[in-house]
This record gives sequence, C-alpha cells and structure tokens, in this order.
Amino acid sequence: MTSLATLATAHLKGPHVDFAGLSPLIALLGGATIVLLVGLIRARWVRAHVVPALSLVVLGATAGLTIWQWNAQKSVVSGALRIDDLSLVLNLILVTGGALSVLLAWRSLAAREAAHGEFHALLLASIAGMSLLAAAQNTVALFVGLELLSIPLYVLCASELRREQSLESGLKYLIVGAVGSATLLYGLAMIYGATGATDFDVIAHALSGGSLASDPLTLTGIALCVVGLCFKASVAPFHQWTPDVYEGAPTPVTAFMAVATKVAAFGVFLRFFDVALIGAQSSWGPAIAVLATITILVGNVGALGQSSLKRMLAYSSVAQAGYMLAGVAVATQLGVRATVFYLAVYVFMNMASFAVIVARERETGLGDSIQAVAGLGRERPLLAWPMTISMLALAGIPATAGFTGKFYLIDAAVSGGYTWLGVAIVIGSMISLGYYLPVIAAIWMRKAPSEQPGVGQLPSPTGAPLGGGEGLPVLAGGSPELDEPSNGVQPEVVLVAAVAGVATLFFGIVPQPLFNLVHHAGSALGGLFF
Amino acid sequence: MSQTTYGWLVLAFPLAGTLTIAFARHHLPGRSAGWIGTGAIFLAFLAALGALLEMQSHAPEHRQMVSSLWNYASTVGVDAQMSILVDPLSVFMILVVSGVSTLIHLYSITYMNEDEGFKRYFAYLNFFVFSMLVLVLAGNFLLLIVGWAFVGAASYLLISFWYRRTTATRAGIKAFVINVIGDVGLVLGTYFIFKHTGTLDFLRAFHATTAGAFGHGSDDGDLVAGCMLLLVGAFAKSAQIPLHTWLPDAMEGPTPVSALIHAATMVTAGVYLIARMHPLFELAPAAEDVGAIGGAATLLIAGSIALVQTDIKRVIAYSTMSQIGYMIMGVSVGAYAAGLFHLMTHAFFKALLFMGAGSIIGAMAGEQSLEKMGGFRKVMPFTYGCFIVGGLALSGLPPFSGFFSKDEILLVTGERGGWHWALYVAGYIGAFLTAIYTFRMIFRAFHGEPVPEAVELKTGTLHHAHEPTNPATGEVEDTDVGFPGPFHTIAERAQPMRVAMSILALGAFGAGLVQIPKVDFVIDDFLAPSFVGSRLYQTHERSGLLIFGIVLGTVLGLAGIAVAYRVWVQRPGTATVVRERLRPLYELLVNKWYFDELNDALVVRPAAAVGRFAMGTFERVFVDETLIGGTTGLVRAGSAAVRAVQSGFVRYYAALLVLGLAGVGFYFLLQT
Repeated sequence: MTSLATLATAHLKGPHVDFAGLSPLIALLGGATIVLLVGLIRARWVRAHVVPALSLVVLGATAGLTIWQWNAQKSVVSGALRIDDLSLVLNLILVTGGALSVLLAWRSLAAREAAHGEFHALLLASIAGMSLLAAAQNTVALFVGLELLSIPLYVLCASELRREQSLESGLKYLIVGAVGSATLLYGLAMIYGATGATDFDVIAHALSGGSLASDPLTLTGIALCVVGLCFKASVAPFHQWTPDVYEGAPTPVTAFMAVATKVAAFGVFLRFFDVALIGAQSSWGPAIAVLATITILVGNVGALGQSSLKRMLAYSSVAQAGYMLAGVAVATQLGVRATVFYLAVYVFMNMASFAVIVARERETGLGDSIQAVAGLGRERPLLAWPMTISMLALAGIPATAGFTGKFYLIDAAVSGGYTWLGVAIVIGSMISLGYYLPVIAAIWMRKAPSEQPGVGQLPSPTGAPLGGGEGLPVLAGGSPELDEPSNGVQPEVVLVAAVAGVATLFFGIVPQPLFNLVHHAGSALGGLFF
Repeated sequence: MSQTTYGWLVLAFPLAGTLTIAFARHHLPGRSAGWIGTGAIFLAFLAALGALLEMQSHAPEHRQMVSSLWNYASTVGVDAQMSILVDPLSVFMILVVSGVSTLIHLYSITYMNEDEGFKRYFAYLNFFVFSMLVLVLAGNFLLLIVGWAFVGAASYLLISFWYRRTTATRAGIKAFVINVIGDVGLVLGTYFIFKHTGTLDFLRAFHATTAGAFGHGSDDGDLVAGCMLLLVGAFAKSAQIPLHTWLPDAMEGPTPVSALIHAATMVTAGVYLIARMHPLFELAPAAEDVGAIGGAATLLIAGSIALVQTDIKRVIAYSTMSQIGYMIMGVSVGAYAAGLFHLMTHAFFKALLFMGAGSIIGAMAGEQSLEKMGGFRKVMPFTYGCFIVGGLALSGLPPFSGFFSKDEILLVTGERGGWHWALYVAGYIGAFLTAIYTFRMIFRAFHGEPVPEAVELKTGTLHHAHEPTNPATGEVEDTDVGFPGPFHTIAERAQPMRVAMSILALGAFGAGLVQIPKVDFVIDDFLAPSFVGSRLYQTHERSGLLIFGIVLGTVLGLAGIAVAYRVWVQRPGTATVVRERLRPLYELLVNKWYFDELNDALVVRPAAAVGRFAMGTFERVFVDETLIGGTTGLVRAGSAAVRAVQSGFVRYYAALLVLGLAGVGFYFLLQT
C-alpha cells in the first residue's frame, strides 16, 4: 500500500534524454526508416539512385552530428552509452566505411535483388548497431549493439537471392554467429553474476577490489566474452566463418563487413576490456596476446596461395585483426591510439582493394579471381594504382599508411612489455608479402586475360544480365556481378578506389592529422597508463 | 615573400619540372623537354636570388629561418617535420647548385640533342637538382637523409643513363653501392645524435649539443662516433679515400652529368655536411682530425693518379677528388668560409673543364683517350680558350678564381699551427701536382701534331664514327635508345653550349675577386651568421703567412706548368723516358694506388669467399634444407592445415569454436 501511495504522490517526471549526444544514432536509425520508405516508391530511378543518394545524405548528416559533438565527455541513457572522443572517432571511421560501401553497392546486383530500399536500410541499421557498440558503456547496450549490427548483416550476406553461395554465406554466418552471440551473452551473464552489475564503471570498481578479479565465475565470464568478441573480430581460432562468408557474400557487402565490423568489434574490445575489465588485465592480457599471435600466423599462412582475391583478403583481414589485437592486449593509452589509428588506415586500405575487385567483377566476368586483375597496369592505371598501393599498405611498406600503422602497433606492443608480439607482427608481415606481392605482379607484369584465351569459360561480359546462379559458371567462387549492361562505366567505384588509394598514400606521407585524431581517442579512456 | 617562401619555391620548380617532363613526355614536341628542364632550374635560381635579397634585408643575427610545411610525425619523442632551414649557408649552396645547374641544362640541350633518351635525360637531371636542393635546404636530419638518398639514386640513374652499355651500368651499380654505404653511415650517425639530443631538427640539436647533451667536455665517445659516421656519409658522397673508387667510373655517364653531378654539386655534399654540422664537429676534434687527414690524403693521392691517366674525363675526375680533398680538409680544420669559397669557384672552373672536355669528345666522335688527341688548338679556339681559363683557375694562378680560394684554405690550415703544418705542406705539394696534370692534359689535347679528326675538322666537317663504339672497351654499339646518339656536337657550333661555357669562364676567371685577402671579405661576412658561436670561424684576420702563401702558390703553379710544357711540348719523348726509369712508381699510379685491388682484396674477395662458403655449405645444408625447407614446409603444412580445417561445414566450425572456447576457458580458470 505504501508503495502505491508513494507512486501516486511522486512528482511524475520523464527521464532526461540528451538528444544531442544521441543525435548521430538517431540520424542513422531515422535515416534507415526514411530510406526504407522511399524504397517503396515504384519508379525505378528512385529506387536505383535516390535511395543510395539518400543513404549518403544520412551518413553525411551522421558525420556532421558526430563532429558537432566533438570533445563531448558524457554518459547518456542512464550511463548505457558513453559519448567521448573514442566513440566519436570510431563513428567517423564507421561512417566513412559505410559511405564508401554505399558507393560500391550503388549499381550492384545485390542491392537490386534485395530491392534497394531494404538493402540500404539494413546497411544503415547495421552501422547504427556498430555505432551503438562503439559507445556501449554497459553490457546490455553492448549486446543490443552487437545484435543490431549482426542481424542486418546476416540478411545482407544473403541479399543476392538467386545465387547459391550468397545464400550459403548468409546462412553460415547466421548459424555460427548465433553460437558466437550465445557465447558472449553467457559470458556477460556470468560477469553480471559475479559483480552484480551491468555498468562498465561499476564492474571495473568491483574488480578493482581484489579477490573478485581471480574469482572462477568472473574469469569464466571473461573467457566467454573474449571468445564472443574474438568471433566478431574474426580472431583465430574463431575466424572460420570469415573466408567462407567473405567469399560468398556480394562484394560490396564483403567490403562493408571487412572494414566496418572490424571497427565496431575493436571499438567494443577497447572499451569493454580497457574500462570494465581493466582490473583483470593480468589475466586476459596474455591470453589476448597469445590469441593475437595465433591469429597473425593463421591468417597469413591461410592467405598464401588463395586464388580468390576475396578469400585472400578475408584471411588477410584475419591477420590484420591479429595485429590490432596487440593494441588491445597491452591495455595502455598508446595501445588504444595505435589500434584506432590502424582501424582508420585499415578502412582505406581495404576499401581500395575491394573497390577494384568490384570494378573488375563487373568488367571481366572472371569473378574475384586473381586473373581478373592481371594486366591491369597497362589497361586501367586508375584501378591498378589503388590496388597496388593497397597491397603495399597492407603489407606495411613505408610511405604508405599501413607502414605507419604497423609501426605504431609494434611500438605499442614493445613499450607495453610484449616485445615478442611485436616480433610476431613483423614475422607475419614478412609472410604476408607472399600473397600481396603476387597480386602486384599480376597487375603489372602479366598480360590481360583477354589476350590469353582458354583460361576458363569466359561468359560474355554483356550477356546474361540477370542470369542467376544456374547459367553462370562458378569462377573461383566469386560473385559474378554481371549486372549493368553499360560495361565499364562505373565512376563511383573508380572514385572509391582512387579516394581510398590516395588516402592510404596521403596518410603515409602526412600522418599527423590522424595522429591528432587518435590522440584524443586514447585519452578518452581514463584509468589507463601511458 | 619571406626568405623561406623563396626556399620552398626553390624546391617546387625543379620538382614541377621533373614531374612535367616525366608525365607529359609523350606530348612534348621536339626538344621542348630540354627547355622546360632548363627553365625550371632557372626559375629555381631566380627564387634562390630572391631568398638572398630577402635575407640581406634582415639583421645578421636574424638570418637563420626555419619553415615547416607540415609535421611529418610528431608523436612520442619524435619531431619529424617537413622543414627547411634557410640561412646564409643554405642560400649560398642553392645559389651555386641552381646557378651551375641552369648552365649545364642549357649546355645539355645541344649536347644531348641527338640522343634517343633526350626527355628521360632531362627528367632525371631535374630530379637530381631537386634532390640536391632538398639536401642543402633540409632543416632536419630526416629531410637531409631523404635528399642524401635521392641524390644517390639520381646519380645512379644518370651514370647508367646509357643503360645498354655494360660498363655504364656496372659503374652505376658501383656508385650506388658505395653511396649506400655512406647513407648507412649518415643514418647511424643521425641515430647517435638523435639519441642524445632528442630532436631531429638541426638548430635544436646543435643547441642541445652546445648546451651539453653529450657532456661538457669535448670528444665525448658517442659524439665522436656520431661524427665519424657522418664522415663516412660525407666521404662516400664526396669520393674521399677510401670510398672514392666510384667517382672515376662514374665518368661513364654523359659528359654534362659528369660536369654537374660529379664535379660541381653532388660530390660537394660532404663538404656542405661537415660545414653544416660544425657545432658537432667542433666538440669532437678527433673526428675533425680524421676528416682533415682524409682530405689531405685524398688531395695528394688523387693528384698523383691524375698525372698518368689517359682518359680525359678521368683526369678531370681525379682532379675533382683532389680539389674536394682541399675542401674537406678546409672545413675540417675550421676554414669553413674558405672551403665553401673553394666549393663555389671549383664548381665554375670544373664544370667549365668538363664542358670543354665534352666539346673535344664531340670532335673525336665519342673517343676520350688523350693518346688519340692532339692539335686541336687551331680548329677549336673557343674550347681551347675555355680550357686555358679553367686550367689556370684549377692550377691556382692569380688572378684566376682558384688561386684565391685554395690559398685561403691553406692559409687557415697553416695558421692552426702544430701538426697542421703537415696538411699545409701536403696542400702545396698537391698544388704543384695540379698544375702539372692540368697542363699535361691541355698540352696533349690541343698542342702537338693535329690528329686526323682535327684535320678533318679543319676542312669543315665534324668527324663522325661510322661504327659507334664504347670508348672504354671498343665494343661496337648502335645509336638507339640506351646508347649515345649518332651525332656529336662541339661548342664552336652550338650556341647554347657556347653561352653556358662563356658564363662559366667568366665565373672561373673572376669569382675569386669577391674575397681577396686584405681587400674584401664578401664570403666571410656573408656566411658568418651561419657560423655564429663557432670557435674556429674567424673573419678578416690574416697573418704573416699570407704573403708567403701567395708567392709560394704562384711559384708552384708556374713551376708545374713549366714542367708540363717541357715534358709534353718541348720534348715529347721525356714522358716515356721518365716512365721507364720510374717504372714501379708509374705502375702504382696507373693502377690508381691499387685502391680497387685493395678493396677487392680486403672487402670484395673475403666477402665473396664467405659468400661461396655460405652458398656451398651453409646455404645448401643449413638454410636450404633446414631453414627454408623447414620454414616453407612448415608454412606450407600450416597452409594445408588451415585449409583442411576450412571444410565448409558449419558443424566443424562450431566444433572448433567450442574447442577454442574450451582452450581459452581452461587458460582463464588456471588464473584463479
């Protein structure tokens, strides 16, 4: 009775909502709804061109709102989300990756098959999930963000409805992803059980007490969380979905997954481990370092000898995840900075090569086989250079941003007391030349495939605009993006390749702007040593 | 515009030139690439003049200006910036580099006219000038290293410009390898300095050093080590003993390249480096002494080798080494202004001599041997005149420019007293040798009986080889790209060559007048702001040695010319007689003091022996079978394993996920 009375007499007041802090997220989700609605309009040109343009506008608005919030330091939604420089920088990186993916998907078969509105709405929703994840400050928000990012991706992977491999990749991702999510959820539950809290700050406080950090329940929880997040970041030995899904998914979706998922996964890695679980760093630090080493080796070794570029890049992204994990393992501000720096660079490096793959898939009908880029140097220098720069950057050759990023990570590993991890990064980079350089060799030193017939069954580039899975030969497992009859006219894809390539080179020569950007991100996490 | 803006412009023009020529090469008609290249360098020269005028309007103590375009990487303890330092020293250098380069570009337009690689040549040449300007304008060690390495690369490209000539490509490789040894020295030296001063910026590093970053005494171990490593860089680039063997071989490049790179600019980089690093060297007297002795040894040894060389370009090349020996010795004993003064005058007269040599080689249709030349005096009066002016300047006779600058170096060296007297004496012996070999070259090429080519020229036709050959080996060549073009030119028939040579001849004659002892001190005063705080830099103080030095220098120069005249003009047989009588000495000199053989025995052959052992035994057994076989096998097995696990079945993936989870969980539970 008394409680009822209190309720009755209490001055009813809505919770304070900081709309400014939430504005980037609102823009993304609201934008996704609008895009979905606009996609219902019947006119073909509206669907095909207004929808993606609108998506770009949404992403632009998100970027604008993110910059508007710059230097904010606040917790919103009762401490569920944290708006600080780390989450804002990651937001910017995500939006950049998203915008480049929208450009790649503009004329893709996937977007058309999945009805443009749905495709782009899902893409925006997924970015919203990532943004949420990067800002999550309690375990509930973390899990919600993770699912919001994953579920649209499952659908996007399967968006080429009539191609078997696309469906297979979507299904595989869904099933294995479910196992991963379940693992993470179980881990979060255990940590909640041990500490009695969902807020990162409270968990951190509880763990700093002493005995709780070595409690079996906490540690089991942490172990499960490590596995769950490693799964999302495709860290070996939880990476196995990566090659299959990357290869089967439509290439623009692969590009998006490769860059944006990584950004979100590492964003949450940094925040969850460097804030909530910092008290147990002595337990998880070595484990993550060992996982990083395994990942570097497995990714680089697996990428050797792959003839499918997408599959090769999938393994390469596994290896890169290993490098970035080094920045997490050390749990220092330098580590955070190095990881964020590498994430930013990573977006450009990968986008450049995926754009070239998309362009060549549409032009040659060779799928994503390495054959498709042979002789590119003579034929299409505008595509050949970004691909070359991207490969060199991924391998970590000086004067590209990849070198600076790797250098930063090694620096972080060594000054964080994990010298052997730095050595592992170097060895991994050495092995990686074994699969990056053949691509460059194919681009510049081999003849274009058209001059050597008999490589395989070449479907006529203009034929079978909507042939579906049946009629097309499966070439290296790639998605035959033979959509637009207007062959070779794809300025937006070339633009993505050029922009990403130039950015990779530019930040290799003038890395200072990025240094400044990540400097704030590193300082955002209090409680970390230098 | 401020002086630093002019400094950036000095860099921008050559870069724009090289990019324009490189990217628009298919669209550039005729010889326009040559004019674009020349114009770009000329604009750089004008910008350098602008920087000079602008700088003169500041008070002397405000003439050192640093400008940073952007921060390359300023993070955790590194302050790498794209910054240039514009001060009297660097302005002096850019004026010399861009000025002489303009003239040599102009000369090249006709000299390289027939070459199939004309555009490539100018793209390289502009790139070289850009690199050299980066080197001298760099405001920090990072940019210095970049310029240093670029210059080496440009030199390699230009030495092997005729890339189908095996001798040229081999010479290019040799030059590049030795230059890289120097690069390594420079980088390691920079590391020593950076480690103690914590900055890459020149001025801050110097300030930290004088403030005691290396301790307060002199000859701190690390500082000496750093300076010695810088000296390795300087010696390799400036062709000083024992890192000199690449320079004579570098004469395989086109003659204007020899004039520009291997005489007037690149090889003086070592001199510039020591002058720029003087605050460090002054605190490391041991390194200074090594530099001075190295310079003195080079000037004597190179001078003696030049006496017996028969290839006209190689004579001038050894003379270059010898003259740079003077400069290195000068800046190492504290005669900074004198060393740089000599750098300038040498740039004029040596470029002039090389251009003259190019003209004669044109008349000889590519032949370079002095043995086959003779009697060109009458038919090539202009070239002869230029040679005489250049030769007198090189021999150091008043009032030609070389006289004043060389004399200054020796004067300051003598004034240091103590064991520096040995250097002083070596310098004058070198002067005597210089006069002999210079006039030996002139007398053999221009006097005596006219050779068939000279006779042919007299009738009005330029000799033209029916079958072009490599002058070094006699191999038959064609005239396609990668080999020299079919036709040659002489200065008498090409306006641009004549203009370039005339201007240089004026410089070679009169440039010495800017600094005459007891009369004017233009160079001293101009450079003083860059050497503020130097304990050795002294202006206007010239002691009693002055008169003695002037007289001695003149007498030795005249004596050298007299000897040459007697031996090679009056009694042409004398040389053979002397050669027979002093057979061992002749053998020593003609084999270049066996330095190539020494390098071969000390470095190349042991390295090759180690290499053979490594290849035959170590490589085959240990590396191939164990390491490579093992590693590649391992990687291959790993790759196979990764792929085997990648079966494509979701159930296996889930199983592995659970297995991994078990592993991670187990590890964490061990922590309790």
